[in-house]
Amino acid sequence: MMPAAYVTSEGGALLIIAVMLPVVGMLAVFALGLRRAERIAYIILPAGLLIALAIAAEVARTGAAVTYVLGGWQPPLGIALRADGLSATLMVLTALVLCAVGLFAQGTFSTPPGTSEARRPMVFWTLMLGLWSALNTVFLGQDLFNLFVALELLTFSAVPLVCLDGRRETVQAALRYLLFALIGSVFYLMGAALLYGAYGTLDIAGLRLVARDDPATSVALGLMIVGLMAKAALFPLHLWLPPAHAGAPAAASAVLSALVVKAPFFLILRLWFDVAPQPGNQIAAQMLAWLGISSIIFCSIMALRQVRLKLMIAYSTVAQVGYLFLVFPLVMASDAPSAWQSIGWTGGVLQLVSHALAKASMFLAAGLIAEALGHDRIDNLNGAVTAVPISVAAFGLAGLSLMGLPPSGGFVAKLMLLTAATETANWWIVAAILVGGILAASYVFRVLGRAMAAPEIGFKAIAHIPLYRELAVLGLAICAVGLGFVPLQPFAFLGIGRVGLP
Amino acid sequence: MMDSGLLLVATMAVPLAMVVACLYPAVYERILTWLPLAAVPGLLAALLERGDSIVIAPAPLRLSLALDDVGAMLLGGASLLWGAAGFYASISMRGRPGVGRFAIWWLLTLTGSLGVFIVADMTSFYLVFSLASLAAYGLVSFEGTARAQHAGLVYMVLALVGEALILLGFVMLVTATPGGNPLIRDAVAMLPDSPLENPAVLLLILGFGLKMGLVPLHVWMPLAHPVAPIPASAVLSGVIVKAGVIGLIRFLPLEVPSPDWGMALVGLGLLTAFYGVLVGLTQPHAKTILAYSTVSQMGVVAAIIGAGMTTGAPHTAALAAFYALHHLLVKGALFLGVGIAGATGKRHRLSFVIIPMALLALSLAGLPFTSGALAKFATKPLFGDGSSALLASLSAAGSTMLMLHFLGRLQLLTNVDQEAFPQRSLLFVWALVAGASFIVPWALFASISDYSLTDAIGIQALWGASWPIMVGAMLALIITRFISRVPKVPEGDVIVLVEKLAPLVARFGATIDVSDEVLRRWPVASVVLLTLAIAFGAVLQFGG
Repeated sequence: MMPAAYVTSEGGALLIIAVMLPVVGMLAVFALGLRRAERIAYIILPAGLLIALAIAAEVARTGAAVTYVLGGWQPPLGIALRADGLSATLMVLTALVLCAVGLFAQGTFSTPPGTSEARRPMVFWTLMLGLWSALNTVFLGQDLFNLFVALELLTFSAVPLVCLDGRRETVQAALRYLLFALIGSVFYLMGAALLYGAYGTLDIAGLRLVARDDPATSVALGLMIVGLMAKAALFPLHLWLPPAHAGAPAAASAVLSALVVKAPFFLILRLWFDVAPQPGNQIAAQMLAWLGISSIIFCSIMALRQVRLKLMIAYSTVAQVGYLFLVFPLVMASDAPSAWQSIGWTGGVLQLVSHALAKASMFLAAGLIAEALGHDRIDNLNGAVTAVPISVAAFGLAGLSLMGLPPSGGFVAKLMLLTAATETANWWIVAAILVGGILAASYVFRVLGRAMAAPEIGFKAIAHIPLYRELAVLGLAICAVGLGFVPLQPFAFLGIGRVGLP
Repeated sequence: MMDSGLLLVATMAVPLAMVVACLYPAVYERILTWLPLAAVPGLLAALLERGDSIVIAPAPLRLSLALDDVGAMLLGGASLLWGAAGFYASISMRGRPGVGRFAIWWLLTLTGSLGVFIVADMTSFYLVFSLASLAAYGLVSFEGTARAQHAGLVYMVLALVGEALILLGFVMLVTATPGGNPLIRDAVAMLPDSPLENPAVLLLILGFGLKMGLVPLHVWMPLAHPVAPIPASAVLSGVIVKAGVIGLIRFLPLEVPSPDWGMALVGLGLLTAFYGVLVGLTQPHAKTILAYSTVSQMGVVAAIIGAGMTTGAPHTAALAAFYALHHLLVKGALFLGVGIAGATGKRHRLSFVIIPMALLALSLAGLPFTSGALAKFATKPLFGDGSSALLASLSAAGSTMLMLHFLGRLQLLTNVDQEAFPQRSLLFVWALVAGASFIVPWALFASISDYSLTDAIGIQALWGASWPIMVGAMLALIITRFISRVPKVPEGDVIVLVEKLAPLVARFGATIDVSDEVLRRWPVASVVLLTLAIAFGAVLQFGG
């Protein structure tokens, strides 16, 4: 059975531009001189944001997915790129977060005047661009092997970001990250090989038509999904995330926590809803949700017990990734006319987006607080509010979203997930969402309470933080809060171009 | 009459604008002086905009404000107390360190606390309710002492639990209605047909009951109310607990008779009423006694709502709000009065403190001709003639005992300077609230009750109000001989038992730490990864 051929749609060229633009930027860095890395990034970043917005607008205008077939060659020979509503949303999110992080990083990684070349800034900016290209490819790819390559590119861009400062602990953390991510990749690759052996194709649209409920498919999907879980750091496979995300420079932590762990999750979504034989397996969906639940509870408690701010935020990431895994049973059991119009689907995507914005803002705020105070021990944060008031405010706003208090994107997302869980009578998920919210509030307020306390006499910030950096952080937090004003109902946009489920 | 609803918007917009203005250091320095103004739009709205509504954002967001009679009654009383307490704070707290911060928490709490009376849609209600709950943390823990921090922590944890209960209750309410964010009254109208009616009602009673301090969820109240500065205590105990009352009024289907839930609420309410009295009697501090009295009085309000729910009586909401208004003003005046008492020397004490405070305190017990007598008289028919009516009357006897105990402890709060006299402006604002607590309920009585005012001062009404007070006074005389021998119950009573579990929690936390460390070891993580892959593949194959 041959799948329907891919046809390049109007505006399809935007997709290849979105993938290639950051690569062009990387090449330009090498061609025009490493000193200019930052300036080149400042041209690429806004351009990439505009392209992501244009793709989203095109998807919204036509009400259908945007497709591009490379060189006009059909898969499996050629490569097809395809942006549906979900991919377009994630691409805009990625561009937005990277732009804010770019603005923030201007101080940290700019080339010092007088030096002819500096290694760190060049590495940082080129890796950022590489990571961006990899993320866009993950969101657009339609072939499980191409997606594997994109995922590897993502890992290899992300790992060096962890040890940018070259300290012993961070190198150790980066190696840990690399090794575990590689094990995850091996699992994924084995699964992909099994699928290829069974069906002779790795094209997602093709697999969807032929996938059977047989042992080879089950083993393949099991290997791939669990391998991706390891890359997404879902509990209990989170061993690498806390040291890596906490050790990286703030700008890198923000990108890693906000975007990089979301890419493997996105692929799990695609495997589950676009490749696995339908109707999906309820018990396996419950298993995914249970891993999510344990992630929420366990890692929220761990976050509460951390002494250092960045470690706390890193554990919170593992907990928040747990919420994403709740969507599987919620979407499948929904009685909405189409799964993509269910409140659980919208809630899950919104949770992904609002967590990305809030977590990026929170890591950046923590970075500024640490720069101003010279440390990030939670118990000694008093005075932070006088030193970096805007950052503390941003931390509070982002925290609002993490806790799921209104008005914030996190609130709407959790309310939607809660509604979906209530409607489908998944009471354990209901309990986990509520308890997770209380725990998140506890760890956020613990930090805010210390940061807002009066400073000790003679307190003086050790560094002055320029206003634009604080405003970049605040901007992300305001986006996270602004998502709280979306209507409480399924968004049609997130269902555009999605197929596979009735 | 304005019919545009602009004052309703201003009720919340003005205090929020004041918070934003605090970004300017010049405003921040002086914000305390402006506190009383924050409540003015609310007061004007209550007087001028009854029956108005305004839609801020149309469907599907559907953010809307509306002021019905019940809301107007509570909004008016609450604004009056917020304004008066704000004035009190602007004078009594002048020059203290950290007052700017205090003012910001104050304004945020005020916004939420007035907001709950006027919002008409579910999401906005949750928003303002959370704002009032969480911002009040800043008022509770303001003093920064170990006691205040402990109270703040307990308050915060329970407030968050309450938020979670209410959120789930709301979700269950909303699942019965199509569309994103329904108006509260539409959602409640659909509730009786919902399969989730019982769990929804239970969660709402628990969540709002926690805010009102119903036993056993009252434990934060005797800790939190007394540690705040005087004007903050007044609004915490006077106004903020009413967020729970308006929640029950708005979200329980009061017009539909539901005997089971009604009786459960009556039982819980009366239990709380007596429990508050009994524990309050063992307390030595005047402010803590008042906090326990609030617990007890909110029990009475819950019983009133429950009694109305049992039969689906038509005016239950208005009657409960009327009782709540009486308590709001009287309790506010009592807390402010504690501050006045501390500033008054022996010479002026009797006429300026003891007599007015005695009238206010016994108003809570229903002393004839006070607002308390009126409120109890108006709500009496809801209870019928059965045992719950008798118990409600006996709770007034309990209140009498508690208030006499309070007056006894208040005696000890005298300024050492015999000639000391409180600042005239403080005295004035206190007199204003106290005066309002006597007059306003009389003015509103005709509009909420089927009885006429002459009934309310008829011989039967007077007897009904008097005998519990006499019983209470006699009991008080008897127990004063024993009270010193009764062991002092710690503030927050049962919370102390819960806190005994602290080492257990710490051990649990340590266990989590250790298991995290184990799980993050290479061999363990690798084995887990492999096991998960096998298990997941097996479930995919054999599970479905």
